[in-house]
Amino acid sequence: MRSTMTAVLERAALVTDELATEPYELPWAQEARFFVQAHELTGTLELTTEISPDGLTWCPADVPVLRAETPGMTSWLVTGFGQWLRVRCRVSGDPGAAARLRIYLVGKS
Amino acid sequence: MSIAAPAAYAGLSKYDPLGRILCFDRFDSTTHGWTELIGNYNGQGDLGTVDDHMRDFRPPQLSSCSFFDVGTHGTLSGNYALKLATRAYRGHTATGIRRLTMAGRGRVRIETYFAFKAEATVGHELPASVAWDGNRHPSESQFGAFTVATDICADNGVRYHNVIRYQNTNLDGEMTQRWMYPVVPEPTPRDHQEGKFALPYAADFTAPDPDDWRYFDEPLEMCVNEVPTKINWHYLRWDIDTSTRSNVELRLNDRVMDMSDVPVPIYPDRYSTLDNLLNFYFSVRTHANIRNFLFLDSVLISVDW
Repeated sequence: MRSTMTAVLERAALVTDELATEPYELPWAQEARFFVQAHELTGTLELTTEISPDGLTWCPADVPVLRAETPGMTSWLVTGFGQWLRVRCRVSGDPGAAARLRIYLVGKS
Repeated sequence: MSIAAPAAYAGLSKYDPLGRILCFDRFDSTTHGWTELIGNYNGQGDLGTVDDHMRDFRPPQLSSCSFFDVGTHGTLSGNYALKLATRAYRGHTATGIRRLTMAGRGRVRIETYFAFKAEATVGHELPASVAWDGNRHPSESQFGAFTVATDICADNGVRYHNVIRYQNTNLDGEMTQRWMYPVVPEPTPRDHQEGKFALPYAADFTAPDPDDWRYFDEPLEMCVNEVPTKINWHYLRWDIDTSTRSNVELRLNDRVMDMSDVPVPIYPDRYSTLDNLLNFYFSVRTHANIRNFLFLDSVLISVDW
């Protein structure tokens, strides 16, 4: 039987410019999926997946940058990563642009 | 379990369980029920109603204990350890909680092999009360405290927590290396609902007032092994007694500490929906703006009923 595990990385994070989630280790997982739920969103939300071999130094993963402009859920798959994952969330637009985010990370062996 | 345990029990022979094993958690397969603690919320699922100091205890991780300098360290028993990681925020706490109930009363024993570390600082320095001298390392003084505790409720709603904490540094980052216990019960969401307190983010949820903690036993130096990326596993064995709502004994490697005089405060009022509650949690708290980690190789919980 395969293993799976869901982590709630953020529950109601208010992002007005940029937020990188805390480093999360998934050394056992072959695949992972982010779910970013924008409960509130004004402006543009840009989501960049980042990977790290040590939890200290990061680079973009081999995943396209995703964008959202309305509240709702955005999800994407990540494979072939090295141990640590995080997502960098940027909000841009008119003054006052902001996002209220719940972020899940699901790993599967 | 005798020292000459069969090889088939190699995983178990490093433990010393009581007669009935409730759980033996090795983290090469799942988190075995050790999950993030979160405060209570209202009937609409509104997480904005969770107390500020109980809304961000961080999800446990399965870690291969890998570091920037040596790569994968691994664990005592296998590939993965359960890792609790704080934010890099002074006072922040990460938790892992395991939820059981009691089928009897009596002696309860929790054992683990654990390690603790502050996150490595690479390319930047943080304030530290210990200077690098080739043996000691600033990282040693950048770890705050870890806690092992229970949440128990039985016999018509009588609720209490047995708590032990190893305080590596005080809130000023000075080395203390002492065991501690609180003399008050943990503030609960119901206390908040009733207007008894309102605690800020990163308050010490176990007992928020530092004056409500007492030291017990003598200072104890752990094997932190010089730098933030060497993992040495420590054995911890803690006995409590749920028939007398008391502490019994704590063992850390070769140090055995009589805890029979360490009090266990009960809540003055009674709680519902918690009959026979038997929860255990591990937590780690940073006293500086640096992530602190608690690694658990494995955990065994046993009882004498």
